[in-house]
Amino acid sequence: MHFSRIAPLLWPGVIAGQLACSAAALAERVDPNELLNRMGAAVQTTSYEGTVIRIQDGKAEALKVVHTVTDGVIREKVVVQEGNGLEIIRNGNEVHCILPDRKSVLVEEWDDQSTLFSTLPSSEVRFGSEYDVSIVREERVAGRKTILVAIRPHDIYRYGHRIWLDTETSFPLQTQLIGEDGAAIEQVKFADISLNKEIHASALAPSINTENFRWLNQPSRHVKRDIETRWESTNLPPGFRAISTHGEIMPGSEEVVTHILYGDGLANISVFVAEQDQASAAGPSRVGGSNSYSASIDGYRITAVGEVPAVTVEQIATTMSLR
Amino acid sequence: MNDQIRMQISAFVDGELPDAEADLLLRRMGQDAELRRKAGEYLEIGRAMRGESSVRGIERLQERVAAGINDETLADEEVPAELPKGRSMRPLVGVAVAASVALIAIFGLQVTPGVDSTNGIADDTSVAEVAEDPGYTVPQQVDEQLRQFYLSHGASSTEQGANGMNARLVTLRVSEEPLPEEDADETEPDEAEAADEAADETATQP
Repeated sequence: MHFSRIAPLLWPGVIAGQLACSAAALAERVDPNELLNRMGAAVQTTSYEGTVIRIQDGKAEALKVVHTVTDGVIREKVVVQEGNGLEIIRNGNEVHCILPDRKSVLVEEWDDQSTLFSTLPSSEVRFGSEYDVSIVREERVAGRKTILVAIRPHDIYRYGHRIWLDTETSFPLQTQLIGEDGAAIEQVKFADISLNKEIHASALAPSINTENFRWLNQPSRHVKRDIETRWESTNLPPGFRAISTHGEIMPGSEEVVTHILYGDGLANISVFVAEQDQASAAGPSRVGGSNSYSASIDGYRITAVGEVPAVTVEQIATTMSLR
Repeated sequence: MNDQIRMQISAFVDGELPDAEADLLLRRMGQDAELRRKAGEYLEIGRAMRGESSVRGIERLQERVAAGINDETLADEEVPAELPKGRSMRPLVGVAVAASVALIAIFGLQVTPGVDSTNGIADDTSVAEVAEDPGYTVPQQVDEQLRQFYLSHGASSTEQGANGMNARLVTLRVSEEPLPEEDADETEPDEAEAADEAADETATQP
């Protein structure tokens, strides 16, 4: 992979020295936690339009993205630049997925605020003793000046993060999820972006005429309510604690599933306790940077899911018990 | 694609391309699917060199899923419903499972079984074989519950303001269940559509 690129290896000390100076100087005048707080506000209020490159599992894909926030209402359009030209259009909580090749539109109601980039918890609840956060250096991303912030975990139970924040707006122009080996598990980067410029309503309209398309409705998402539970992990990884417990009814089911949410201030892990189904698969699975592990305990299917290493969800799932 | 571009992509995936060149390359990648494919190949090579496992044949699988969708037909039965802009909606009977897999693959909800991902998959893996082969189970096909857990977790994490600082792409869910019948089920679908059209025409009258 490196082939003829040997020259840079001859002067790493020079680069390291320069970066060290830059980082030290930056750290003196910039508080990384303050930067991340600003980022939290920026992703909730910034309107933008641009091209996103997403790299995951050895695949790179490009997406055109338009995002506006008006009076707290999110409007977003994501267009896949290859394949079947899928378009996703969000207007508040209503999401339309347009499948041009199927001449169909799938419609779904959302009750959360998921967007392309989400915010972080406030500084009051994040980064206890489980992470270090630091300024690394200044770099350019999408033609704009950014500051690279690194969030490093202290142990193997959580991932690290690198975030390139626009120096002007604190909007994240590039993010990486970092595994135990230091390699990026997922990466999202703007190739080009326009921030806080006026976005005309037509930019959020479908790119294709859906007049004669079939419109397909989706049932509402999960129904949930607060409950108490006797289920708990007897060996939670350090730093994690229970945040909430809900009883949930999943679409297409009448069964109430117990959902316990654990968090360390940055990473979250959900544990689902459901009646054992013979068809249920056990063991680990993975979705990008998210891992899950299912185990059978006392006639129940226990599944832990989270954006954490596989070892973390396995440890939690296999140590759940009734107190 | 010339050697210089290949070298740039190689350096890019190694994180060694100078920022200015990386920005330029990314802009080009935004316009050029071949460059993106090449970057994907190099990333895969890098993973192999680092001894990381990957799921062989997953690209083929996704192609077959897409082909499977094209082979399917949507259910003819219409379910009258109150719809945005007076359009009629239909249930997802028949197409639901395949469409679900396709959407998930595109938007990052491609579940990779952790145990079996190291075993590899035959290049000629097909959707039907996947469903029947106990050595390689695709949870979103045979285990709807696990997929619902991922989606529920994503929503809960977002409410907490955490977990989603990386890619939180829209994760549309397609259920296998047909739409529930609604109040207008006494009306013939054609009549309902005709009524909608009439209403639209009325609305545009001066």
